Amino acid sequence: MKKERSKKYRLLQKIRILVQLFFFGLFFILLLKTRFPGEDYISNVEGFFHWDPLLALTTTIASRAFFIAFWPAVITLAVTFFLGRVACGWVCPLGSLHQFFSFLFKKTKLHRPKKLQDNHTVWKYYILIFILVSALFTLDVVGIFDPFSFLYRSIVVGVLPALSYGLSAFIGLFYQLNLTGIGDPMIQFFENLNINAIFLQGFFIGSIFIGIILLNMVRERFWCRYICPLGALLGLVSRWNLFDLKIDKERCIDCGLCTIQCQTQANPFPNEGWKSSECVYCLTCSAICPTNAIQFPGKFAAEKIESINLSRRKLLFTSFLGFFAMPFFRLTPARQRASERLIRPPGALPEDQFLQKCVKCGECMKVCPTNALQPVLSEAGPEGIWTPRLDPKIGYCDYYCSLCTQVCPTGAIKELTIEEKNELKIGTAWVNRNRCIPWKFGDPCIVCEEHCPVSPKAIKFQKIEVERLDGIIKTPLAPLIDLDQCTGCGICQNKCPVVDDPAIYVTSIGESRSDKNQMLLDIIKAEENIF
Amino acid sequence: MKRRDFLKNVAIGSLLAGVPSRLLAQEGGLPDLAMIQGDSPGQITKEAIAAIGGIKRFIAKGDVVIIKPNIGWDRTPEQAACTNPEVVKAIVELCVEADAKQVIVMDNTINPSQRTYARSGIAEAAKEAGAKVPFVNPHHLKKMALNGEWFKEWEVYTDFVEADKIINVPIAKTHSLSRLTMGLKNWLGAVGGSRNQLHQGLDYAMIDLAKFFKPALTVLDAYRILLRNGPQGGRLSDAQLHKTVVAGVDYVAVDALGATFFDIQPEELPFLKLASERGIGRIDLEKLKIEKRTL
Repeated sequence: MKKERSKKYRLLQKIRILVQLFFFGLFFILLLKTRFPGEDYISNVEGFFHWDPLLALTTTIASRAFFIAFWPAVITLAVTFFLGRVACGWVCPLGSLHQFFSFLFKKTKLHRPKKLQDNHTVWKYYILIFILVSALFTLDVVGIFDPFSFLYRSIVVGVLPALSYGLSAFIGLFYQLNLTGIGDPMIQFFENLNINAIFLQGFFIGSIFIGIILLNMVRERFWCRYICPLGALLGLVSRWNLFDLKIDKERCIDCGLCTIQCQTQANPFPNEGWKSSECVYCLTCSAICPTNAIQFPGKFAAEKIESINLSRRKLLFTSFLGFFAMPFFRLTPARQRASERLIRPPGALPEDQFLQKCVKCGECMKVCPTNALQPVLSEAGPEGIWTPRLDPKIGYCDYYCSLCTQVCPTGAIKELTIEEKNELKIGTAWVNRNRCIPWKFGDPCIVCEEHCPVSPKAIKFQKIEVERLDGIIKTPLAPLIDLDQCTGCGICQNKCPVVDDPAIYVTSIGESRSDKNQMLLDIIKAEENIF
Repeated sequence: MKRRDFLKNVAIGSLLAGVPSRLLAQEGGLPDLAMIQGDSPGQITKEAIAAIGGIKRFIAKGDVVIIKPNIGWDRTPEQAACTNPEVVKAIVELCVEADAKQVIVMDNTINPSQRTYARSGIAEAAKEAGAKVPFVNPHHLKKMALNGEWFKEWEVYTDFVEADKIINVPIAKTHSLSRLTMGLKNWLGAVGGSRNQLHQGLDYAMIDLAKFFKPALTVLDAYRILLRNGPQGGRLSDAQLHKTVVAGVDYVAVDALGATFFDIQPEELPFLKLASERGIGRIDLEKLKIEKRTL
C-alpha cells in the first residue's frame, strides 16, 4: 500500500483553520467594538450570542418567555441537524481557542495524546441535563457553563485587563527611555479602545479561564469533550447528519493514529465505533491518515446512527440534582431582602426575572464607559454569581448613556433610550455626616453637588455651623439629598474626596425595578402635606 | 533636560511671552478687553481677537499652541456646560493662519473623555480646523512646583507647560462653591492628581494655577451662559443665549467682565478680589479700556 496523506483533506483542514480564525477574529472584533461608539446608540455587537441554541433554550425555559432576538439559534440547530457539530469544529471561538492550545501543548510535548477507551465524554450531557432541569425550575445557571458566556466574560473581566496592565507597563518603558514619540500614539490608540481594566474579580475569573485552558494538557479540547453543554446539545441534535465518516478497509493499515489524534474522542477507528455526536468535523483524522483511508462522503439518505450511551440511572440522578439545585441555590437571604450593594444596571428587570434571564456574559461590563459594572460575587446569592452590579467606588452610571441596556443579549436588562433611562432610579444616595468634610470639619467641599448630573440637582446644600476642635466656628455649605431627584447614578460617591469609604454613597434602596426595596409609603410620597 | 533647567526655561519663556504683550497693550493704544456680540460664535470670536491686536500679536510663526477649552462634561453645546465648539474652531483656524507649528486642543475631563470630546462637538470641530485633539496622557503628568501663595506643588500635564503659547478658552457658568467658573477655574482641567481636594481651597487654588499657567490670551465664551445648576446644567432652560465673546490678555479682567453677565460685581467674588489685591490682574472695569461692539 502506497503511503500518502490525502491532499484534499489537508487542504480542507487548512481551510477549516482559516474559517476558525475568521470567526475568532469576528468574535474578538465585536467584543472590542462593544464600547462607546461616539454616539448614543450602538449597533448589534452582541449578535454572536443569538446563534447559541443553549442560551435560547434555557433562557426561554427559565423565564417562560421567548425572546425573538434568538431566532438565529434555529439556524444553528438546523445546520447541526444536517451537518453535525460543524459549529463546534469550525465556528465556536472557544473551541478554536482550545484547539489552538491543544496544538501548542502537543507541539511542545506538554501533552502526548493516547488512545482512550473511557466514556467520560458523557459528563457534558449530564451537565446539560442539569442545566435544563434546573431551568425548568426557574434556576438559570447556564451562564456559568455556556461557552460564549464563559469566553466573553473571561476575556472582558480577566484577559483584557491583564493585557492592558501589561501593555501600559510596556508603554511606560518608552516614557522611561524618553521615546514619547512612540509612547504618545500608543496611549491615544488604547484610550480610544476604551478597555475597562478594573474588575473586582479579575484575578478569580482570569484564573478559572487559565485553569480551563491548561486542562488541554490533560486532554485535547478538554472543555469540548467533557464540559461544554452547548456541545452536548448539538451532539444530541446531530444524530441524522449527512456526512458520515467512512474508513476504506482496504487502505486502512490499522495504525490507530486517527483515534489517538482525534480532538474530541469521536473514535474514528474502527469505523463502527465512530461517534458522530462527538465528532466536530475538524477533519484531523482524514488529514493525518497515512494511507488516505478516511473520507467523509456525503449521503442524502437519513440514516439513524448509534445514540449516545447515557446511563439511565445517572440521567435520573442528574435530573434530581437539577431539581434540588433550585432550593439549594436559594438558601440565601438575597431573595428576601435586597443587598444594599446590589445596585443593578438601569433597565434591569425585577430581581427574580433578572436572574432567570441574565446569562452572566459580561457584555454590559464591557460596554460600560466608566467601568462601573462589576461581576457580583455573593450579593445576589449563589445563582447571581457574575451577574452585573454597579460599584460606585469604581465607576458611575453616566447620565447620557444607556449602552448596557442595548447590548444585553437576553433582555435581562431592558433596552432603553437615554430619556427612558433617566426616568429610572437604580438606588439612592446617602450622606455620612460623620465622614463628610463640611459636616465633620467645616471645610468647603461639595464636590458631590458639582458632579450631580440631574437638573435640578439631587444634591442640595445648606449653610451649617461647625465648631472645630480649636473652637473656631466655620460656616460651610454642606450636602443634603433630594430623594425625588436622585437616580442613584453614583457619581457623587465616585468623586467624593473621602476615597476609602466615601462620605456620600449609594445603596440599592428605592430602585425603580423593585416593589419591596423601598422605604417611603407611597401615600406620603404622593401628598407631602397629608399629616 | 533636567527638571530644574526645564522649569527655568518655562519660567523665562513665560516671562518673555507675557511681559511684552502687556507692554504692547498699553503702548499701542489697543483695548484691554474686547467684548463682541453677534449671532455667529465663530465670527464674534475672530472679531474679538482682532480687536485686541489680532492673533499675530499672540502667536508667532512656528509656535506650538495649546488651547484649553472646557470639555469637562458629557453635555451638548446647547446645554452650555462645555465651551462652544465654534469658538474653539475659530481660534484653531486663527492659529493655523498664523502659521503655528502645531495646535493642540486638550482638557482633563470629568466625565469619560471619549464621551465629552464627542458630545461637546469640540473634538470634531477642532480637528476639522486642523488641530490635534488628544486625550490627556497619564505619562505626561509631572509633579511641578507651582510656587503659588497657597499652592506649592501639584501634578500638572506637561503639555500645557511645554507648549510655546497657551490660549485659555473657558465658558461662563455658575458654580456652587466659587459662584462662577470662567477662566481662572478652567485651569483645574490642566492638572491631575486628586483634583476633588482642591475644592477645600478653591479660590486660592484657582489664582495660583492661573498664575502658574500664564495664558498668552484668554477668550471667554459667553455665547451661551449657564445660569443655574452649574457647572454642568442639564435642562436647556438652565442655559441662556448671551451671544457674547470676551477676549483679553489680563485673564483676571476677562473674568471680571464675565461676572457682570450674571449681574455679579467682580469684587463680590473672592477669587477676583484676591487676584486683584495681589496685583495679578485688574477688576476695576470702569477704568479698563473695553471695546464693546455688536456685529
